[in-house]
Amino acid sequence: MQIIDHSKLWLKELENLNGSPIGLPIYDVINYTSKEFSKRCEECLVGGEQVKFIQELNQPKLNTKWLEWTISPWTENPEKINGLIIVKDDITETKKREELLLKSKSIARIGGWEVDLLANTVYWTQVTKEIHEVPENYVPNLEEGINFYKEGTDRDKISILVSDAINKGLPWDTELRIITAKGKELWVRAKGEVEIVDDKCVRIYGTFQDIDEKKRIELKYNEVADRLAMATKAAQIGIWEYNVVDNILVWDDNMYELYGLNKKNFSGVVEAWEASVHPDDIAPSQELLQRALNGEAEFDPEFRVLWPNGEIRHIKAIAFTHRDNNGNALKMIGTNWDITKNKNAEKKLKNLLEITSEQNNSLMNFAHIVSHNLRSHSSNLSMLTGFLDQEGDNNEKERLIKMLCEASESLDETVQNLTEVVQVKIDTLDKMRPVNLYETIIGVEKNLAVLLKEKNTVCEIEVGKKLQINAIPAYMDSILLNLFTNSIKYSSPKRSLALKITAEQKDDHTLVTFSDNGQGIDLKRHGNAIFGMYKTFHKHKDAKGIGLFITKNQIESMNGKIEVDSQVNKGTNFRLFFEAINV
Amino acid sequence: MKKFENVCVIDDDHIFIYGIKRLMKEVNFGDDILVYDNGKDAINGLRLNSEAGKKLPSIIFLDLNMPIMNGWDFLDDFCKISESELDNTVVYIISSSVDPRDLVRIKNYSIVKNYILKPVTANDLAAIQKEEVA
Repeated sequence: MQIIDHSKLWLKELENLNGSPIGLPIYDVINYTSKEFSKRCEECLVGGEQVKFIQELNQPKLNTKWLEWTISPWTENPEKINGLIIVKDDITETKKREELLLKSKSIARIGGWEVDLLANTVYWTQVTKEIHEVPENYVPNLEEGINFYKEGTDRDKISILVSDAINKGLPWDTELRIITAKGKELWVRAKGEVEIVDDKCVRIYGTFQDIDEKKRIELKYNEVADRLAMATKAAQIGIWEYNVVDNILVWDDNMYELYGLNKKNFSGVVEAWEASVHPDDIAPSQELLQRALNGEAEFDPEFRVLWPNGEIRHIKAIAFTHRDNNGNALKMIGTNWDITKNKNAEKKLKNLLEITSEQNNSLMNFAHIVSHNLRSHSSNLSMLTGFLDQEGDNNEKERLIKMLCEASESLDETVQNLTEVVQVKIDTLDKMRPVNLYETIIGVEKNLAVLLKEKNTVCEIEVGKKLQINAIPAYMDSILLNLFTNSIKYSSPKRSLALKITAEQKDDHTLVTFSDNGQGIDLKRHGNAIFGMYKTFHKHKDAKGIGLFITKNQIESMNGKIEVDSQVNKGTNFRLFFEAINV
Repeated sequence: MKKFENVCVIDDDHIFIYGIKRLMKEVNFGDDILVYDNGKDAINGLRLNSEAGKKLPSIIFLDLNMPIMNGWDFLDDFCKISESELDNTVVYIISSSVDPRDLVRIKNYSIVKNYILKPVTANDLAAIQKEEVA
């Protein structure tokens, strides 16, 4: 067989040939022809039919090549074959791709299958059989194929899908469990396509992939994620993620709940955060964030959030920073949770502790005062009775008895004072009720009218006639009486007494001031001892040092407080704070 | 036993003053007894005496709880008097207080020799006399 013509493209391949190949025998020119090649050529010459075959060409030092030969007979009339038209096609690339696909299908465990509904045959690829763990010679059918699916929801679902595909022409793509021939449960992804001819489904085919490992990991992950979501939801923990590089902040739904916000109302999370955090707390939190990003501090701030309904909530945040190898912050993942209850409890506890230690302190002082005062009288009594025992002189005896009477009277008075103090301590707040301050002042003033007149007192009362304060009426009388008598007692001998009483209603309390122009007291020296028990600072026969102590106790038992400022020879100014009426 | 040259009692309780004077007489404690009924009168009186060239008392019995100026304030002012003058003076606190804070506080004053809890007895005075004068 000689070459009588050729394409230009083919000529390029024949590098070793000098001159034209025309007239040369074909088998000599194509040095890589195989036995098969010549056999096929003969076949075509004899049979007169086109022959196609693929040759795998292994050349030394070269990559394997794949050639597709198409040999067609060339005839002038149908009876006689004059020669052959031989077309060579290099299909190496296609072949390689095909091989790769096969390989990857095998690695990815993707098998194929086909159901010919006309011939009623089922075909499974090798991988499909492997997945089902059936032998290579296994011959599947549609029913058996479906029965591999796990009984119950899985099998029911595939039955519906296949029936919908056949009857309605719907494709499917689903993930279900099968039980292999060896009894192993596997997750597979089954895809089905439909071929329809004349409105009738003639063929269904598709892929079948073993996704067991991936699916189980996914299921496990979902389980963990669900559990976490449930836990954070139940614990009301919000989770956020801040992408430092792209400056994007993402919140989970719990976060919005913690801030009392509706997710829909905010285009961005940063905007939502800044809109709800207490203005005073924004800058410190942002500063801490910057320091945390720089690696200088832990991000664990506490801040207040203003809810749309006006409530103030305390939020605690904690975050971890992810960094690249150079230590640059990449992202931050953190949590938020509501610590309002703890904060309030802490505040309450602190208050309680303060009150308790104050009470403890005052009880301690009180105990020592009681002990001191009782002791001073009892020691006098025992001393005097000792003297009386030894005394022979009648005049002296009489003197001793007089002193004994005096001492026992003092003791009695002390006991009465103490009872009064204890009474203040056990009186409860239940007795508090609105008291008209003006009327109380006028009442006390009337009781002291004689004494006030003696001092030519001018009383200036700037108190609203309807002003009420929350107080125990008897205490108010006692407090005012004491302040009045103190002013009278310690008035200046150089001038007539002037008193001024004012009252002012503030947000949560009422402030009453009581000023005089009397002798005053050196507060630098005596300080708050002025309210101490048995403290006297003036040389006055009636000074007992109990009045202001009781006044202070009475005011405090009504949740109020008393303050004083004073200047020697100028006067004294008391400020009394009372609870607001609506509290 | 030798007597104290001059004695000072600072207390606002006149029954106590009567009692201690009587006990001093009993044990022959001293003849010259100065009495002040608060810290302020005491400090003023002692200063006047000092300016008039009189010696400070060799022993002072001081109460703590008094009006106008209490025992502590008296001690603070009294310690400001020059050391040479105070050399021959000792202070005994006589009080009804059993408050431990008071007992701790007297340690700040080197001039205070001891703390005697009321009622004071003849034996107490005799013991002091023995220690200070003998």
